[in-house]
Amino acid sequence: MSQIPVTVLTGYLGAGKTTLLNRILSENHGRKYAVIINEFGEVGIDNELVVGTDEEIFEMNNGCICCTVRGDLIRTIGGLMKRAGKLDGIIVETTGLADPAPVAQTFVTDDEVKTKTKLDAVVTLVDAKHFPLRLEDSREAEDQVAFADVILLNKTDLVSPAELAKVEARIRQINPYATVHRTAKSAIDIAKVLDKGAFDLKRILTLDPHFLEGGHDHHHHDHDHDHATCTDPTHDHSHDHDHHHHHDHHDAPNPKHADDISSVSVTVAGDIDPDKFQTWITETLRTQGQNILRSKGILSVTGAVQRYVFQAVHMIADSSWGQKWNEGEKRVSKLVFIGRHLDAAQLKAGFEGCRG
Amino acid sequence: MSISDVKQPRVRSFALGAYVGGLAFTNDGETLAAATGAGDVHLIDVAGEGIKVAKAHGGAVLSFAAHPDGVSFLSGGDDGRIVRTARDGSTTEIAKFQGRWIDVLAVHATGSFACGIGKEAKLWARGAAEPATLGPHPSTVAALDFSPDGSRVTAAHYGGVSVWQVAKPKEKARTLNWKGSHVHLRYSPNGRFLATTTQDNAIHVWRLSSGQDMQMAGYRTKVRQLVWTHDSRWLLSDAADCFVAWDFSGKGPEGQPPLEFGFGDGTIMTGIAGHPAAPFLVGGFERGGVRLGDLEGKRELVLRESDEDDGRPLRAVAFSPDGWRVAAGGEDGTVVTFDLKTEPAAS
Repeated sequence: MSQIPVTVLTGYLGAGKTTLLNRILSENHGRKYAVIINEFGEVGIDNELVVGTDEEIFEMNNGCICCTVRGDLIRTIGGLMKRAGKLDGIIVETTGLADPAPVAQTFVTDDEVKTKTKLDAVVTLVDAKHFPLRLEDSREAEDQVAFADVILLNKTDLVSPAELAKVEARIRQINPYATVHRTAKSAIDIAKVLDKGAFDLKRILTLDPHFLEGGHDHHHHDHDHDHATCTDPTHDHSHDHDHHHHHDHHDAPNPKHADDISSVSVTVAGDIDPDKFQTWITETLRTQGQNILRSKGILSVTGAVQRYVFQAVHMIADSSWGQKWNEGEKRVSKLVFIGRHLDAAQLKAGFEGCRG
Repeated sequence: MSISDVKQPRVRSFALGAYVGGLAFTNDGETLAAATGAGDVHLIDVAGEGIKVAKAHGGAVLSFAAHPDGVSFLSGGDDGRIVRTARDGSTTEIAKFQGRWIDVLAVHATGSFACGIGKEAKLWARGAAEPATLGPHPSTVAALDFSPDGSRVTAAHYGGVSVWQVAKPKEKARTLNWKGSHVHLRYSPNGRFLATTTQDNAIHVWRLSSGQDMQMAGYRTKVRQLVWTHDSRWLLSDAADCFVAWDFSGKGPEGQPPLEFGFGDGTIMTGIAGHPAAPFLVGGFERGGVRLGDLEGKRELVLRESDEDDGRPLRAVAFSPDGWRVAAGGEDGTVVTFDLKTEPAAS
């Protein structure tokens, strides 16, 4: 049975999430979507299958601070899977202040959820007029942009061309790898939002910023099992550890330090030694995974005919073999990181040290 | 009953057309009820031919149990309703919680029953018309179970469990804490232990007299269902490719590996039920296999082989009250029954 694609819709309150949702649902596409929303009942969503949940962020008992999951999503998806009739997709709308990481991690760590569904993309709406202000007062607004695969720079009709250019530049600074669409009143072709396969290792073909803007979209449906693993070694089953994690319910915006999210891209010409890379990336994510929001890589591995594709959400990494290298093609290895307080020089030196 | 008494069980199959999430028998064992993702409760005459279909819910049935009266069934749905379905197919709405999912339901032989509504639980004590409210709990109630004597009802949630007194629902609950998300719970039939399963692929057990607890891990996947044997000696779980039984006799399971037997075809168990009077269990597996396990003989009997290509996970398995019939149902919308007593046709 094929897995149902899940689109995560984030964005600050008032950015236009509900308008976008209603556009997606009212378009005559003949598809059936289930919508999981918070703030139930606040604004009407025009769909037969709307489920309201309380965002419940659960830490695992294994001491890994990054292994947080959304308990409400696990339950809701379990219930949706019992329903009769085919479902073409699930859209999860998060609250304005939500951290996207636990949502994403739910889809790579929970066995049941991962068997039945697959995370398709994180879509973030940005209010062009208010985004600069949001960046000043909340860490979440920045996280949502950093986490995104697709960004809708919305409400473009409310700002001047100069302001718009400035906001987009700021978005690019935080996340140069997401596809950005400028929209007014959340108007967009839904094909640009749904079925992006952003977490599908088989569809990570290049990490060049803006590559996807050319309208390329490659479908490689392959149901190999990719094994997501957490790199945190404290992830054990002993019951005498004493980690105490503050359970943050995100009721209030977190004040942020200005401009602390950045991205780092490292390219190495030629081959990478797989053992060296494994050791280095495991250690890097173990020690810096709390600050590294997302990372992706396409590697040329010594002796391998296929590309080695890698991605991680915080400490939870996932890798697989991708497309073959063409004959005579220039083999390069590239790794990108988005996160807080990244040490570009250190990451660069580390990756270069993995040369085969 | 001995497993060697079981020979070539008579097998019947019923195609119900939608996800079978719950199975239960009437006390006399004559009617098997199956609850589906289409909102129906199918009432199967196990010995005869008839099937009645009760349209119990608008959406999917999310929780299901035999009613304490022994002749009807209780179901909770994603339409927010709790419905009682009688053997003749007639339905009565017990309660409705608009916009909520009733995915947690527990019943007790004394007539009490309870359901989860978000962070709260609603308790109908011994046939009370109006429910009492328990909670709010720290998170959504993930599971409920009554103590064997019916005096307590316990909710599983994030961070542990809350034990409520059925007769005094306004009294503060006794909480038993353990980090993590607790998703399922079962009292031992002797009332001495309370076992939960957690999001991180483990089982947690409290000794209720002292509050002392223990952790059982080693599962590769999340444990969904627990079962105690009738004598409270063994705690059994799904989520493994064999029968896993933790021994609570003597000093208990601490520091001891569980009994593991019946390594079959490598598929994982997705549903489990315990025999009402003997040390037997039945497991339903992810590719449709059904196996009977004998804890004393440490052996298994394959009631149905897995279907590697088309087999789908079995989500509900049940023994009839006399222990001579097994029912299994799951994601492919089919219910299979195995009559363990019926001799092959030749006799």
